Amino acid sequence: MSFDPKSASYLDSIEVVEVQRGPKPGGVGGAYRAFGETLRGLKTTMARLIEGPMTIEYPEEKTPVYPRFRGRHKLHKFEDTGLEKCVGCSLCAAACPADCIRVVAAENIPGDRVSAGERYAAVYEINLSRCIFCGYCEIACPFDAITMGHDYEMADYDRRDLIFTKEMLLAEPVERTPLKSEGE
Amino acid sequence: MSPAGREVTITIDGREVPAVEGEMLHDAARKGDVEIPYFCYEPKLGDPVGACRMCLVEIEGIPKLQTSCSTPVREGMVVHTRTEQVKEAQNSVVEFLLVNHPLDCPVCDKGGECPLQDISYGWGPGKSRVIDEKRHFEKPIELSPLVAIDRERCILCYRCVRFSQEVSEDAQLQLIERGDRTYVGTFDDRPYVAPFQGNITDICPVGALTNYTYRFRARPWDIEHAGSVCTICPSQCNVSFTVRDEKVKRVISRDNHEVDDGWLCDRGRYGFEMFDAPERVREPQLKGGAVSWEQALEAVAEGLRRAGGKVAAIAGDASNEEGFLLQRILRDALGSPHIDSRPSRGPKADVLRRLAEPNVSAKVRDIDEADAILVLGTDPLHSSPILDLRVRKAIRRNGAKLVVATERPTALDGGAEAIARYAPGQAAHFVGELASAIGGSDNVATPVAETLRDAGKVVVIWGERIAREDGAAEALLDVAAATNMSTTDGAGLLEIPDTTNARGLREAGCLPDAGPGLSDTTAGKSTEEIREALISGELTTLVLFGADPLRDFPDTPAWEEALTAADFVLTFSMHDNATTAKSDVVLPLETHAEKDGTVTHPDGRLQRVRPSASRPENVVPNILVLSELATKLGLDTGIDSQPTAFQALTNAVTLYNGIEDEQIGGRGLRWQDREGATSARTGTEQPGPGGPPEGGSPDTQRDAPISMVQPDPTPRGVASADPPSGGPSTAANGDLLLGTYRDLWAGPVTELNPPLKFLTPQQRVEISRTDAERLDLKSGDKVRVNGIEAEAHVKERVPAGVVFMAEGVSDGNANALLNGGPVQVKIEKLDEATA
Amino acid sequence: MAHRLEKRVLLEHAEDPDLRTLDGYRRLAGGYETLERAYKEMEQDEVLQELEDSGLRGRGGAGFSMGKKASFLPRGDMAKYLCCNADESEPGAFKDRELMQRNPHQLIEGIAIAALAADAGHAFIFIRGEYDEQADILDAAVAEAYEAGYLGTNILGCHRDLELVVHRGAGAYICGEETALLDALEGKRGNPRLKPPFPAVQGLYGGPTLINNVETLSNVPHIVRRGAEWFKGFGTEQSPGTKVVSVSGGVRKPGNYEVELGIPTRELIYDLAGGPEEGHEIKAFFPGGSSSPVLKAEEGLDLPYSFEAMAEAGSMLGSGSIIVCDDRVSIPHLALRTARFYHHESCGKCVPCREGTNWTVKMLERMVRGEATPMDLDIVSSVQQNIIGHCLCVLGDSMAMPVGAMVRKFREEFEEVMANPDLVLDPHAVVQGAPETLGAST
Repeated sequence: MSFDPKSASYLDSIEVVEVQRGPKPGGVGGAYRAFGETLRGLKTTMARLIEGPMTIEYPEEKTPVYPRFRGRHKLHKFEDTGLEKCVGCSLCAAACPADCIRVVAAENIPGDRVSAGERYAAVYEINLSRCIFCGYCEIACPFDAITMGHDYEMADYDRRDLIFTKEMLLAEPVERTPLKSEGE
Repeated sequence: MSPAGREVTITIDGREVPAVEGEMLHDAARKGDVEIPYFCYEPKLGDPVGACRMCLVEIEGIPKLQTSCSTPVREGMVVHTRTEQVKEAQNSVVEFLLVNHPLDCPVCDKGGECPLQDISYGWGPGKSRVIDEKRHFEKPIELSPLVAIDRERCILCYRCVRFSQEVSEDAQLQLIERGDRTYVGTFDDRPYVAPFQGNITDICPVGALTNYTYRFRARPWDIEHAGSVCTICPSQCNVSFTVRDEKVKRVISRDNHEVDDGWLCDRGRYGFEMFDAPERVREPQLKGGAVSWEQALEAVAEGLRRAGGKVAAIAGDASNEEGFLLQRILRDALGSPHIDSRPSRGPKADVLRRLAEPNVSAKVRDIDEADAILVLGTDPLHSSPILDLRVRKAIRRNGAKLVVATERPTALDGGAEAIARYAPGQAAHFVGELASAIGGSDNVATPVAETLRDAGKVVVIWGERIAREDGAAEALLDVAAATNMSTTDGAGLLEIPDTTNARGLREAGCLPDAGPGLSDTTAGKSTEEIREALISGELTTLVLFGADPLRDFPDTPAWEEALTAADFVLTFSMHDNATTAKSDVVLPLETHAEKDGTVTHPDGRLQRVRPSASRPENVVPNILVLSELATKLGLDTGIDSQPTAFQALTNAVTLYNGIEDEQIGGRGLRWQDREGATSARTGTEQPGPGGPPEGGSPDTQRDAPISMVQPDPTPRGVASADPPSGGPSTAANGDLLLGTYRDLWAGPVTELNPPLKFLTPQQRVEISRTDAERLDLKSGDKVRVNGIEAEAHVKERVPAGVVFMAEGVSDGNANALLNGGPVQVKIEKLDEATA
Repeated sequence: MAHRLEKRVLLEHAEDPDLRTLDGYRRLAGGYETLERAYKEMEQDEVLQELEDSGLRGRGGAGFSMGKKASFLPRGDMAKYLCCNADESEPGAFKDRELMQRNPHQLIEGIAIAALAADAGHAFIFIRGEYDEQADILDAAVAEAYEAGYLGTNILGCHRDLELVVHRGAGAYICGEETALLDALEGKRGNPRLKPPFPAVQGLYGGPTLINNVETLSNVPHIVRRGAEWFKGFGTEQSPGTKVVSVSGGVRKPGNYEVELGIPTRELIYDLAGGPEEGHEIKAFFPGGSSSPVLKAEEGLDLPYSFEAMAEAGSMLGSGSIIVCDDRVSIPHLALRTARFYHHESCGKCVPCREGTNWTVKMLERMVRGEATPMDLDIVSSVQQNIIGHCLCVLGDSMAMPVGAMVRKFREEFEEVMANPDLVLDPHAVVQGAPETLGAST
């Protein structure tokens, strides 16, 4: 027998069965249902009460991330000399599957060095609205100049503001994203 | 090891590969699709040197591994390129190369397009055992203002040095020191200055030699390569534009053996920055102010209509399609026959038709195989640089005999068997004498003629400017007949015209006495006559398409007058210049990186210029501008794109009938080589060039006093000519005859181009030692020559009685002194104080 | 006086200073008689045949049959050349110096006769730049020979011409390589050329060229005078003739000794050269200059001194220069000194030699400073393996073979030095003795 849900005969052929939900009200059973089950539920609630609230009150509070969390990119400088580590080699751009990195290199002028090598990135832009946070740029970088940071707050009102420039990527994030602690 | 060897079969890696006996194993393998890694091998640079040891292969019967680049193929050779032994050798060579290589690939411009990277990945051991300090050099340093050298990266493959010594033959690059301390340099660390130096950056297999113009500009994955043709000079070398963000960042050669042999001159290579010069015309201008296209075209249509047929046009830097459209507008919309594409004047249409006969024209490749080469009235280095290398190659590799017959000493004199110097204005006479000397008479041209007589394949490379003299082109045809060119395969005439696409424009119909395909038409005025007619008021309106008469045409004062006298001047120009300043309407031209169209090489090869970079916002394709203008003038050309323009061109030009865009492709197509090529002279029956010479040098010319001048003796110079005392050159009043030449570097390509600016030539007066002594001059003295102040330059090889000055320089342009005939100049020495 | 083990042919009358002059050469050695006979009575083919029959092997290092080499020159009237390779720069070799200094006319006569065999009209003696005194002697002798009509145009009225030029090198070891010698003669940078084409086909200025060593050419007059059979009476079957052997290093009487090939090496070193100094023993020796793989005393001393025996032992006779190392010599330091020499002299044209010598020096320097690990020893060995057979000329092999042999045969000593860099057996021997011996000719 085949059922065609749209045909009238299908509906006619269904036998209507009345379903009874729960026992009938009243009696001892009724009293138990009114308090017993509720108390049982409250037991779990009470037990957790001493643990304090679990809610993370974002944005006042932030979810900690794992150390290898791949968030917003960071560009780095040498701590001792203050020179940028990036030499503008464009390998990150080559590795990027989303094609969201643009590098325009330029030559260092003696006396006004930007990076340690001969060349530096005059323009370094990442279009974060296209980035898929795969971390290939970090892997491709021969100088550890770019790493994936822990920042994940990148929402903005304008897409254009999501194109991060070199200065933005070099700057420390305003607020540090907390890290998960050991074993967490 | 002749290339025309016997066909043999060799076995490479167990596979049978056809080869030609005597060719290098490496070439045979490449043709047979077997890849053998290499660094130093490059047949274009001459004999193999076997220095890199990367191409070692195992050949059965020879115990030691052999370099495949230097092993000639023999029948039945059994070769292995992938055995353990070979792999070990390849691994070890890569490892050795990297012992001293800095591996600074991230900062190196070659990174990503580097043969050393490729080969290290493909054939290297994959891990390094070197922990020792590498060698250090100061880096990067200037090898020249255009090329940076990083000696740490150099793997000493000898390529650049071989280029300098065996191709451009300037011998400036040398290897200095020895062992692993060897480095490439020049004597005394002087800058490497040569017109072809950019090629060493193309052939360098590592990032040791890089262009300053491309330094850190882009990575291989940031760019696109766009194949096109360089139209800065008539060589029309095939190039590939490196384009990033729709802007040209670099120009590299695109090897076409038929045109450029894979080399490129520095003008073509570094000239691209003039595309973005501040002087670039970026929008239509009406009386000096920017206007919209509608306003501009309306003004142009109005101006042209007002002329009522008293209009002339001169085409200069234009594609075939543009030239074709321009002459249609002139002839069909405006009803004026006055159109030309030459700087002053030239042969009549019937002579041009005979010169265009396929059996007397040579192609570029014929130079390679020629038995004798005559360079006549031109210095290829200045006028078509790539042919200079070609001639040198023919002498060096093929033992071709070179003879040079020019006014001014040329760069090729050193390799010539015989040299003749004729006085400025005596070209027609000399060529006439040459034709009869080849035939057996004894005259001033005999030393040159002796080399050409019975030489077999003779290629004559001649400069268009000799044909400004009456009868010169006819005499040239006599030379062709005397050397049996029409019946000798591989012999012929090859013109070096004054403008890039001169041949294409002539064939497209930009001639006063010939229409498209050199067809008969109502005769109009030539450039010179147009100028005079403008001055006299016979013509009132002038259209200049890519022509700059105030810089490039002889007799600048007359042109100033003509442009001032004209009611309306429309100029299509790429850059602002003196001519645009005197124009009513200026419309922007596309550069050769932006243009879409065809050009015709002086040997008849149609080549396609392809749009590679973006145009400035307000620059519109010139074909569309012209067809729009035609429509406004009431002529429906049916042209609205490059394909329709090309179609219209090939339909109208009989020589090009039936040529399809695909046939041109990336390598071009010589219309003469096409099956069923139509001769230019179809319908106009005339005796062939081998027949009786008609219209030779006019008798008046023949009777003119001979003013051959004596070249200073050169080691091999066997030219004998009348002693200098006989000619008019040493006029009684001490005046000297003026000869002019177009310098390689004169023009916007250096002036508007930051990287080449340092090469911008200054006017200088080249004078012979004899005259300099008489006038008490030495090199560097300031002199005034008929009003032009310049520096004197005493040159050993300049004939007495003549001075040479450059055309087209911005300051003291010698064109200002020319007036169509021989010019006597007076040289005054200026004191330091007055100077 | 000649020792009983010596057999003097080339060095006959060598003590007499008169031998240098034309008169002395004529008087003492019957000089130029052979040349006269050859020019007046013999055909080119006869001379060539005689040289081929003699089995004379090149004395410059490769040991290729001289007559055969001459017979490779194509016939025809193109310009042909003869070059005498007097660029003796191999550490340990000083026999050519002696031959040119004591008997220059013997060489000139040999060149003139060989030029007849090769049909060469121009001959050059490319002499090492440092051999200033010998070059002066040669210049004087050549002038004498020209004056006497043995050189120049129409020699002895036989309608044959020969121009002989003494060309002084500029002090590069590589110019002793025959094709680099040709480049240097042509005025170019002295870099080896690709072979083929061999110089016999396309050599100096593109013409067929015969290149031979001083000692080889000095043998020519003797062979032509006394015949191939006489010559073959000396030496062994495959190495006929006598050989001037330069013995140097840790022996009491270093010097040149002319002996029959095939003489026991022990006799050469102990009897002729006087053996090691009192209280010392021979540890090893180079049988054919610094480019031959070193032989341990126990494996080499009892071999006959001939081309074939040395080749069989994995070394070579080369130019016939024995360098003796006694027990004071530190082999790792010796290896470094050898490598430094070849690194310094590498022309830089081909990669394995240029980079291989450089890398080897750097590694060996680390070893003697004690900054290396045993793994480096394997790398050194493998680098030497990678050089051998992969170079354009033999200079790379010349370093790789001896250094490779030293590492292979004296590995324990290397390990010892690496572990205790300060413990050099006898610093004096290392710093003064061995390097002096080896590096004298840099």
